[in-house]
Amino acid sequence: MSRWLVPVGVAAVLALAGVALVNGLGVAAPTRAEQAQRLAAELRCPDCAGLSVAESTSASAAAIRAEIDAQLAAGSTADQVRRHFVERYGEWILLSPSAPVAWLLPVLAVLAGLLGLTIWLVRRRAPRAAPAASPSAIDLQRVRDEAEALDA
Amino acid sequence: MRRLRWLILPLAVIPLSWVLLTGFSVNPNEVPSALIGKPMPTFTLRTLSGSTLSSADLAGRPVMVNFWASWCGPCVQEHAVLLDAQRRYGDRLAIVGVIYQDSTDAARSFLDHHGDGGYPDLLDEGSRLALDFGVTGPPETYFVDAMGIVRAKQWGPLDTAALESKLAKIGVSG
Amino acid sequence: MLPTLGHVAIVIGLAACVFAAFAFVAGARRGDAGLLAAGRQAIYAAFGLALIASLAMVVSLLTHDFSVEYVARNNATTTPPFYSIISLWAALEGSILFWTLLALGWAGLVMYRYRDRHPALMPWVGMTVALVGVFLFSVMVWPGNPFTQISPAPAEGNGPNALLQNHPFMGLHPPLLYIGYTGLMLPFAFGIAALITRRTDEAWLAVVRRWTIVPWIFLSCGIVAGAWWSYEVLGWGGYWAWDPVENAALLPWLTATAFIHSSMVAERRGTLKVWSTGLVIATFVLTILGTFLTRSGIVQSVHSFTQSAIGPWFLGAIVIALTASLGLLLWRIPDLRDRDAPPNAVSRESAFLFNNVLFLGLTFVVLFGTLMPLIFQAFGGDRISVGTPYYNGLNVPIFAALLFLMGVGPALPWGRASWRSVRERFALPLILGVAATVLALALGMRQVAPLATLGLAVFVGAVMADEIVRGARARGRTRNEAPPTAAWRLATRNRRRYGGYVAHFGVLIMAIAVAISSTMAQSTTATLAPGQSASLRGYTLTNDRLVVEPLPEDPRVTETRAEMSFAGPQSGTLATALRDYPNSSTAIATPAVRTALGEDLYVTLLASDAKTGSVTVRIFVNPMVVWIWVGGFILALGAAFAIWPDPRRVPVTAPAPSPAASPARLPAEGS
Repeated sequence: MSRWLVPVGVAAVLALAGVALVNGLGVAAPTRAEQAQRLAAELRCPDCAGLSVAESTSASAAAIRAEIDAQLAAGSTADQVRRHFVERYGEWILLSPSAPVAWLLPVLAVLAGLLGLTIWLVRRRAPRAAPAASPSAIDLQRVRDEAEALDA
Repeated sequence: MRRLRWLILPLAVIPLSWVLLTGFSVNPNEVPSALIGKPMPTFTLRTLSGSTLSSADLAGRPVMVNFWASWCGPCVQEHAVLLDAQRRYGDRLAIVGVIYQDSTDAARSFLDHHGDGGYPDLLDEGSRLALDFGVTGPPETYFVDAMGIVRAKQWGPLDTAALESKLAKIGVSG
Repeated sequence: MLPTLGHVAIVIGLAACVFAAFAFVAGARRGDAGLLAAGRQAIYAAFGLALIASLAMVVSLLTHDFSVEYVARNNATTTPPFYSIISLWAALEGSILFWTLLALGWAGLVMYRYRDRHPALMPWVGMTVALVGVFLFSVMVWPGNPFTQISPAPAEGNGPNALLQNHPFMGLHPPLLYIGYTGLMLPFAFGIAALITRRTDEAWLAVVRRWTIVPWIFLSCGIVAGAWWSYEVLGWGGYWAWDPVENAALLPWLTATAFIHSSMVAERRGTLKVWSTGLVIATFVLTILGTFLTRSGIVQSVHSFTQSAIGPWFLGAIVIALTASLGLLLWRIPDLRDRDAPPNAVSRESAFLFNNVLFLGLTFVVLFGTLMPLIFQAFGGDRISVGTPYYNGLNVPIFAALLFLMGVGPALPWGRASWRSVRERFALPLILGVAATVLALALGMRQVAPLATLGLAVFVGAVMADEIVRGARARGRTRNEAPPTAAWRLATRNRRRYGGYVAHFGVLIMAIAVAISSTMAQSTTATLAPGQSASLRGYTLTNDRLVVEPLPEDPRVTETRAEMSFAGPQSGTLATALRDYPNSSTAIATPAVRTALGEDLYVTLLASDAKTGSVTVRIFVNPMVVWIWVGGFILALGAAFAIWPDPRRVPVTAPAPSPAASPARLPAEGS
């Protein structure tokens, strides 16, 4: 691949992506049915083990779906609908806990892990300017891998 | 400094075992009611016998709202306790049954078979009232005091001991 | 008679394991080969005894011997033989018996295979597996006796759990899962042995790798088969609900997968000893923790077993195993500390390390999520639920990052990669990946998750294809072979690398299938009078008739069956049913699944009216679901290919060349 093809290709694809994004994602605010579906996926079906109202086929899940629809039709916001059910069932009805610690702790743990590893990798090895492997080094590497496998 | 690594051991073992140990004391299927201390949801519903009952009709009296269904196994054992409660406390306490996701025919034949306490049984079309009470599955019973405030909830079938201790919370005793 | 035999076998099994543990320790300390041989014999004997007890249970189930409480609770005279046999693992006590059988099977296999090798390690491996045996047999002697008898024996039993007798997959998914689960005791045993003897060398690593991957393959198949079972049986149209029981299987899988990857770095560089040992310990502790969570009844789950007396025993096992193994590890840390400098930031090693951090991130999310209701409860907080939105919200980005690394990692050279080689490798795949995303966007795909997955999958697929093609070409040129021959020879001579590619290819397929099926499924609920139709995404379903009749193979079960015909991309007839089992208060759904390569038509009966013959059904069109099972199969196949013994290669236990002398490190050091 020649030197200019890559940047041009990347630029072209990115431009296309931008156009597609503007055309695609910008279009529609969620319809009421979509909003209802999204809410149903966030609420726990009261008489199942861990399924959401959207997934469950139980009668109480159907009742909650109907209630969500009715409330959205009456002009309630998604937040109001959520609060409606939390008032009656408690936090338990939400399939993802609203306590910030529930989300923060894992996110921080993963970020700390990634950051720690990066620091460990970078700290003890000052970056070297010179390229390490020549273009053929990779093919060389493959031949060596193979040779090693045969020797072993 | 190096010895500090030994701190990892208690830090890993103790919290984990403590959290798991506390798990033994609680039934994971039992959900405490969010309604405790709040007013009872309002309703106006038809009863099995064809009349209409509204929550306003119950004002000023302690109320016991029992969600049940003919398909629910534990409801059969519980039914005897309810009939007994109606006999003992019927003068001071309003008992209201709510038929949970069941056909009226099945509910009627359940009562024919196991005995009708004479208290109203509400038809809860679309489970609206069950959702308002936050019912997870029958049998569940809510205890409302004379001021209309929910004071206690029984998850699962009532027995006499549970009945008496929860009735005491809404001022019904002996 | 037979139950007594089973019980006696268990008691002697316990004695055999206790003896084996002592024999191994004493034999190792005194260097007494006779004692060690006796320890091995005791392990074989314990396996034989577990086998006798299991057979006694199976025969009791088949002959409906209701004097055994377990049989009375989980069997009935009408239970078909197949479901009688698999009832061995359908409830608590029986599953522990089956578990013991499998664990000792693994133990016996390893003790036999390495009877003449690794003389320093094996006694301690033997001790560890014997102690696991002691625990399992003790559970069956005291709190969870499978042969508890009742007298007088009832005339009829309760019958198996309705949910578990509804599909033949119950004969497949639990054994696979349990084989994998119990097998993960082996890397732990080798880890403990290495810590005690201070031998975490290459030979050790090679053995542990092998005995991690073999159970890992079973565990992977078991998890996929479990998802398949839940799809075919539970009737909600999905296959994964992040239920505690699913999480329990996933947790050790995640840490074992992390180990499989990090062990390659460890092997290559002779480093990461503490890390590797920590991972195998964590894997084993997570298997006990998972067992505890699903069997103690302390979390709410689809098929948690009833709350029972074995809970405290498993909690005790967790505390002992964790304290002992972590303590041992901490004690040995000064001996294990790596002296080598960390690898270069852009290299295959570092990609593997990032992979490990991400896998541990997934482990943390899943473990924390599963325990969170308990944690909140312990601190006196509200009762909370943790479900799909939580797990997906946190895990999907991690999975996406892993997918990216899966493409990048294997294509980076060991040691150190130059910017130029990186560009050469990844530019074209990157363009293809973005192009695929754009195309999908243009074709109307709008959700972020499937778009990102698709783009990443194309990127990774292109990198892998490029690797394979380049390798085959290079070999073809130098040896004058046709490209397919060259590719095959290259693969069979580099089993690990190419097996890894196949496994990764399976993961790619699964990733795409999961992303698309979970976001683009459609469903509708319809109540249909006889002859009436409903349609969804090109399919038209017609209610032909409603049948209510007893099941031919088990007349105690009433089946309410909607017979329907469907037309569209596929056409034909189907029957979807609700079964009323005498021992279940709710009817069990038997969804009809019509699978095609592109999509499944999935129909669940919700309700029916016998008088009018009308039925209420939920109809799903689930795209690409079958590819999840296919991808899982390819994943397992790739892993099996990677570890398939190669006759040309020296046995893995031969001392490997020391990493410093390995030629592959030359580029790094030569720079």
